[in-house]
Amino acid sequence: MTSQSSIFVTLSSTAVRSGTILLLPTLGEIFAERAGILNLGIEGMMIIGALFGFIAGFVTKNPYIGFVVGMIAGGLSALIHAFVSITLRGNQIVSGLALTIFGLGITNFFGQPWINRKFTIPVKDYAIPGLSKIPYVGQIFFHQDLFVYFSYVLMIAMWFMLFKTKLGVHLRAVGENARASDAMGVNVNRNRYFWTFFGGLLAGGGGAYLTLVYAPFWLDGITAGRGWIALALVIFAMWNPLYAFIGAYLFGGIDALQFQLQASGTTIPSSLLNMQPYLLTLIVVVAATIVLRKRHIGTPRELGEPYDREER
Amino acid sequence: MDDIVVSLKNITKRFPGIVANDRVNFELRRGEVHTLLGENGAGKSTLMNILDGIYQPDEGEIYINGKLVEIKNPSDAMRLGIGMIHQHFMLVETLTVLENVILGLAEQGLYINKKEISKRIEEVSDRYNLCINPSTKIWQLSVGEQQRVEIIKTLFRGAQILILDEPTAVLTPQEVEVSFEIYKQMIEEGKSIIFISHKLNEVMDISDRITVLRKGKYIGTVDTDKITEKELATMMVGREVLFRLERKPHERKDKVLQVSNLKALDDKGLLALNGLNLEVFSGEIYGLAGVAGNGQKILSEAIAGLRKVIDGKITIAGKDLTNASASEIFAHGVSYIPPDRLKMGLVPNLSSVDNAILRRYYKPPIYNRHLINYSEAERYAKKLIEEYDIMVPREDAPVKLLSGGNMQKLLLAREISEQPKLLIAVHPTRGLDVGATEFVRRELLKQRDNGVAVLLISEDLDEIFMISDRIGVIYEGQILDTFDIKEAKIEKVGLLMAGMKSEREFSEQVCSTV
Amino acid sequence: MISFKGINPLAAYKALLIGAFGSTYTFSETIVAATPLILIATGLVLVFNMKFWNIGAYGQYIMGAIFSSYFALNVSPSVSPWILLPVMCVASIIGGAIWALIPAFMKLVWEVNEVISTLLLNYIALYILKYLMYGPWRNPTSHGFPLSKMFAANAQLPRIWPHTRVHLGIVFAIIIVFLMYFIIKKTRFGYETRVIGENSTAARYAGISIFRNTMLAMAISGGIAGLAGMAQVSGVIHLLQLEINPNYGYTAIIVAWLASLNPIAVLLVSILLGGIEAGGSQIQMMMHVPYGIVGVIESSILFALLGGEIFKTFRVKFRRRG
Repeated sequence: MTSQSSIFVTLSSTAVRSGTILLLPTLGEIFAERAGILNLGIEGMMIIGALFGFIAGFVTKNPYIGFVVGMIAGGLSALIHAFVSITLRGNQIVSGLALTIFGLGITNFFGQPWINRKFTIPVKDYAIPGLSKIPYVGQIFFHQDLFVYFSYVLMIAMWFMLFKTKLGVHLRAVGENARASDAMGVNVNRNRYFWTFFGGLLAGGGGAYLTLVYAPFWLDGITAGRGWIALALVIFAMWNPLYAFIGAYLFGGIDALQFQLQASGTTIPSSLLNMQPYLLTLIVVVAATIVLRKRHIGTPRELGEPYDREER
Repeated sequence: MDDIVVSLKNITKRFPGIVANDRVNFELRRGEVHTLLGENGAGKSTLMNILDGIYQPDEGEIYINGKLVEIKNPSDAMRLGIGMIHQHFMLVETLTVLENVILGLAEQGLYINKKEISKRIEEVSDRYNLCINPSTKIWQLSVGEQQRVEIIKTLFRGAQILILDEPTAVLTPQEVEVSFEIYKQMIEEGKSIIFISHKLNEVMDISDRITVLRKGKYIGTVDTDKITEKELATMMVGREVLFRLERKPHERKDKVLQVSNLKALDDKGLLALNGLNLEVFSGEIYGLAGVAGNGQKILSEAIAGLRKVIDGKITIAGKDLTNASASEIFAHGVSYIPPDRLKMGLVPNLSSVDNAILRRYYKPPIYNRHLINYSEAERYAKKLIEEYDIMVPREDAPVKLLSGGNMQKLLLAREISEQPKLLIAVHPTRGLDVGATEFVRRELLKQRDNGVAVLLISEDLDEIFMISDRIGVIYEGQILDTFDIKEAKIEKVGLLMAGMKSEREFSEQVCSTV
Repeated sequence: MISFKGINPLAAYKALLIGAFGSTYTFSETIVAATPLILIATGLVLVFNMKFWNIGAYGQYIMGAIFSSYFALNVSPSVSPWILLPVMCVASIIGGAIWALIPAFMKLVWEVNEVISTLLLNYIALYILKYLMYGPWRNPTSHGFPLSKMFAANAQLPRIWPHTRVHLGIVFAIIIVFLMYFIIKKTRFGYETRVIGENSTAARYAGISIFRNTMLAMAISGGIAGLAGMAQVSGVIHLLQLEINPNYGYTAIIVAWLASLNPIAVLLVSILLGGIEAGGSQIQMMMHVPYGIVGVIESSILFALLGGEIFKTFRVKFRRRG
């Protein structure tokens, strides 16, 4: 392998890891939105998962336990949003923002003693027999850690569930027409609660992966707006789990490239490099929205609308 | 044997501001068609939503097959063999027929065995001659087909007690006859049917017994063969009802609206108007009949300037106003009563005053020295409220608190007060009680007598025949034919609504649309 | 929660209160923090009433600060403040308005979700500020800190309360609050925005231009946020720096919501939340409680309010039933 292609492979496999941080929350939000719940608290849930996952990993010296704790922390924080927007039928936009403010605040509060501590236990990479031998692709996609493989499996499982199983039909139905679903005996609130919680689990997992594997350290505000990018990637993926990875790895790639450039001592100011993902996301969202509108693909119809059975 | 399958005793249900059901009793025998009759707002749908588990009664008891039950949700109702076909279909438009059918079903496993379920759906479909393809998405179906999907859904769940909430409102007369055949077949198989309606002729035709509700109260139950239509009407409304509106001979004058070769797309980007031609003259009511979804809404929006057309021409009082803005068209004398008053015509959360001035807040005297003069606005609102006898709690209360009839009166009053040359009225009496309906129809006739050109778009054929001077039939974005009221026959119009020229074509049609 | 960290919670809350309202000076700091909140939230009230979810006050505030600083840093100190300060005000309004019009335009023409676009623009604005502060606008004598030169006296908003940092901005803020109340309640524009917010289909039906009104409202909303940025750099810190507290942009959303989108109520709520912000800095310094506690308190209040709205509806039902 030439040195150029080996740089490409290193960069790409970093891109996949960086993309995994975005892929997990994006997948979670796709399901929450499909069920009709708009959760603008991804950034908050991610950073909660990032901190508590980090602490748990640090204390137990086990990244896997840390990851699970991060997920649970994210899931629990999502339940606040679920309670406010489903049971109390509050405004979902404001509630989601409140969740983000809450997450940033609480992690600042509890994170103080952990700032700049490093998580030093390396996470092992595994080569998948056979697949890892494919030139380039094997090196990039099948020489990864268990978290990355988890995201592959999850993505495919979620796609299958959404379009091929009854659970998926129920999930889509409650987000499209809650009243009809209710009349047909589908428990709208239970479905919405569960998928909001599920979205929180994955957002927390994404955050934990950031602090346990990708960074791996804790810094106040370490998610740095990745939650908002994930929110945009949901549109880019057209609410289909199978398309989520395209956007996620694209932005992972930009992230990786930008670090590579900084490390190589470029003269471009780092602030302008750091801006790229946000600028690009904005462009991508505009483009995706225009395409979706042309093809008459819309958001889930009742996204953000509370359901009250006895309302007439 | 005790053959009473459903018994509702002293059901009371309150909603904010109203008692929707006040100690109502109802009984259904096995194998009968029992009609629940009443005006809009009499509480029929509320009562049936209680039986289906969507609402919880505040008081009262429900017995199914003689057993006291509590129906907490629609799944409970389903387990008890109750299936309801709602007036607003409970279908998820973006899903397929199959996905809608299995929605909420307990029996199936996790994975969807498409082949097997499709086969079962087709069996049901064939047995009742419903002609539905399980893999079609709901939004691709016509309203009549969507209703058949609803029927399949309830049958698939093995419902023995069917509740049909105003099923005929969206059908052509011929489709109504076919659906009555289906109901009869169900009865023969031992099922029982509760039929909700406010159309007397149908009720007399289909039902064995009739229970009448009025303003949430139980009035009585009668055998169909022991009562006349007139007596029923009196029971329903509480006073004698005049079936005929007085009409002066119609004087047709100038051409006000001319629509030629109009083409426009709907929200999904499909061609909804396909070269439509239409003329409406001053001093006449032109009634446009058609099954929902054949382009009526698109047409009204195109004329009112709310939708761009891709081809053709709209001329109002001689002026070409194709693709002009809504305000420009309004300024040229077009008033518009849209199909859904809460969605378009009114702003539910704003006050009667704010709603009353929607058409003139930018004109003096309400608009004065760059500001809105609210005392002037209030005066204007009060004037409308008094003149049209609109019941409001207070002028500054949000209009969503008004009854449907009073909302529609406010909307109508506002639009008529602009002294239009052309008045477009879409479903102007939908959801109104007899009093408000009469009021609206009389007001439309008054406008016609004053020389206004009225375009009436309605799915209610009786209404169209009652007040129109000419009747046109719209089908798939075209007007198939136009009749003078003196020559119009309801059967002929009904066939045209289904896109057919003759009875023979209709009998051949049933399964070919799929 | 505070007790979790081994700090006496009562003492902490007391410190928070004292930090907010305890003395003349601390109260003046509350007013200083309330000033940008009042301004930004008043602008947000206008667009939130239209159901346009401008989450971008953060970025609009930064752009206002940058635009006005350009003149503060480049105009000769000998120019009269009577000229320079108005120029800075106008520049900040233009800066904030531009940053608000971008997402408005994207929404109106392409239907791009404004929550996402305004949020992304916040980050872009932040990195522009970062670029300027580490690059061309950095004070060469700042020892590497991301600060600009001090503004000359002619570019500083006058302080109006001796020995405190309370500046002329609070007067602007109060004027704007009442102006906004008047605009919403009495003008044709205010009526049209209400109709659009409550039922945009009805607005189209009545021939109300959604494009023109939304663009105008966003220009006003962003312009006021920009003005708040100018007031902060010119009235409080007298230079442009990375830490100009753009989080006011998010706090103001909470203010607008707690005030039930009523401009007059914004005035009171801003002083309350300004107190929490100022008191938060206080307990951070005195008791080493991290500043994040402020976010936790604010979001908890917001959750409580959102949840509380359902009881309003219930009360109505109950009353009408009885």
